Amino acid sequence: MLQEESDLSLIIAQIVQKLKGSNLYAQLERQAWASLQRPEIKLESLKEDIKEFFKISGWEKKLQNAVYSELSVFPLPSHPAAPPEHLKEPLVYMRKAQGSWEKRILKSLNSMCTELSIPLARKRPVGEQKELLNKWNEMGTDEPDLSLFRPVYAPKDFLEVLINLRNPNYESGDSLSFRTHLGLIQVPLKVKDIPELKEFFVELGLTTGQLGIDDSTQVPPELFENEHVRIGQKVLTQQDSAAAQQYIRQGSPTALRAELWALILNISSHPEDILYYEQLKTNVIQHDLLVDSLIYKDVKLTASNDDYYFVFEDYLYQVLLCFSRDTSVLSHFAYNSASPPKSYIRGKLGLEEYAVFYPPNGVIPFHGFSMYVAPLCFLYHEPSKLYQIFREMYVRFFFRLHSISSHPSGIVSLCLLFETLLQTYLPQLFYHLREIGAQPLRISFKWMVRAFSGYLATDQLLLLWDRILGYNSLEILAVLAAAVFAFRAVNLMEVTSLAAAEAVLADLSTLKVMPLLQIFLFATVT
Amino acid sequence: MSRVSVPCHVKGTVALQVGDVRTSQGRPGVLVIDVTFPSVAPFELQEIMFKNYYTAFLTIRVRQHTSTHTPAKWVTCLRDYCLMPDPHSEEGAQEYVSLFKHQSPSMTFPKWLSHPVPCEQPTPLLEGLPDPSRVSSEVQQMWALTEMIRASHTSTRIGRFDVDGCYDLNLLSYT
Repeated sequence: MLQEESDLSLIIAQIVQKLKGSNLYAQLERQAWASLQRPEIKLESLKEDIKEFFKISGWEKKLQNAVYSELSVFPLPSHPAAPPEHLKEPLVYMRKAQGSWEKRILKSLNSMCTELSIPLARKRPVGEQKELLNKWNEMGTDEPDLSLFRPVYAPKDFLEVLINLRNPNYESGDSLSFRTHLGLIQVPLKVKDIPELKEFFVELGLTTGQLGIDDSTQVPPELFENEHVRIGQKVLTQQDSAAAQQYIRQGSPTALRAELWALILNISSHPEDILYYEQLKTNVIQHDLLVDSLIYKDVKLTASNDDYYFVFEDYLYQVLLCFSRDTSVLSHFAYNSASPPKSYIRGKLGLEEYAVFYPPNGVIPFHGFSMYVAPLCFLYHEPSKLYQIFREMYVRFFFRLHSISSHPSGIVSLCLLFETLLQTYLPQLFYHLREIGAQPLRISFKWMVRAFSGYLATDQLLLLWDRILGYNSLEILAVLAAAVFAFRAVNLMEVTSLAAAEAVLADLSTLKVMPLLQIFLFATVT
Repeated sequence: MSRVSVPCHVKGTVALQVGDVRTSQGRPGVLVIDVTFPSVAPFELQEIMFKNYYTAFLTIRVRQHTSTHTPAKWVTCLRDYCLMPDPHSEEGAQEYVSLFKHQSPSMTFPKWLSHPVPCEQPTPLLEGLPDPSRVSSEVQQMWALTEMIRASHTSTRIGRFDVDGCYDLNLLSYT
């Protein structure tokens, strides 16, 4: 059909244009030139011979991985008439809500700035630069006075904003009717039901082997685990991103996980990448940002207090401080409903040549932000690799957890999916919790915003994040949240207050995620 | 094949209701929008483009003049074309849509076109999308164009966030 062919050529043109600016393009060009020396490359069949050479030498696979990566991250090109805002977020009322929320954050940061008389950014004096460089690997030993700083916002503030989201074209009214939603989220986004989830997560079914279930000590490894590890090693040898993504749906063996995630995220550490990280480090040394204090405070309040993650405190600073200086993160705002905050050089207010983004990467951290990085420290110990992996995870997934959008993996959809699943399949529990003033979302929201980091045991969390990568979707967070409620339903039916409900669900560290998910999706009588 | 937008006049929406009584309770599910093409010779319509606003299904009817002697008759080009797969959820609710000639039986569109259409004004027709049979040469042209555009932007790829070494800022601005 004419329309589909046009769509395809538009997609191809866009991907080609994106890749043309990448390292890979330069490398392919160099390889093509160098290959002219080879005897099998003949002038008469130059194009075909070079293509064959790329196939044999593995460069074609690298290109395939890069294309696959672009397809996974960037949304399909929309209608030619659609303005850039439409690509960020198609629904006008959601864009407006995100804009208002951002304005609140900016006001909060500005008032912190004026109250504490601390500049947003300042150049460090040379002495201070030297000092920071010396203790770069042990910034955790620093004990700056952070008592006056407060996090810009916490997840519960964000939840209030989401609860108040309304579609102006949707007649819901304030009084309870058959049209109002029983949960906290009142916008009519499309979410999957269990039959659709069963189809989407088919590899998690009862008849498919899973790591997290079929590798437990009682199960002989010959039944599943050995073969699965063997296939994993083969996938790594082939260096095929798409195959790795398919493979990891059944979980990743611990020994292969770091490489598999890097393959799926299309991260390879070239000298340029290490150099780029060193440049970011230099930026941190040279300029001190107000946002740095927020990062320090967040790490001290969250990761440092966590039994699993406190050992990685220094790594967290090394990653997050550099992250704030990374302007390449700005490109993800093309498909993020959020926009980077803007500022002007002192004395040049309103002059566009002096307009800058603040922080340089456009992302203002909130309370708990450092927990996105902490689990990765178990997998990667080289700072620049750890940094690249985190940055890619952020621009693919984590940003959706704290911006208002209609995307199926956006936090609003996840909240609605959670509430809908609970209402539909555990109606008694849902009704009971509502009656005692314990709306389930008030408890599960913080789990989903943090992608369960800090709530589950680390090995379980990594098994969960395997599936996020495998399915290229965050919907599994909502399903797990509902599964947790289902698991503790008996206890929850007996509580009579929100505080008691919170207490029942306070400790998730003993939970095994894969059995919970499997039972909820495939073994619950509906 | 270059295309040109056709000036058209879009009348206001008229709700289809039974009887004369206008009630606020019973909101009509069907709205009709008339579109006329004033003072234009018969043309070959290639594409209709518009932005949706919560319309679920679209039907387009055309009044055709076949010759000066026979009376004009109404023809349905498109019936119940689905714009929103689930009308009670947001999918497709605010999307940009293009309808092409091949999606309806081929015909030349006459001076007068009437169709129920969502509330937004149809925007002018656009230049064509890349011709699939010439993808590689078109891609080359697009590269040249984007290189020109890119050259005029300041590059962020180098990673500079400051202005001439200075990152001494005022407060954050609310645009």
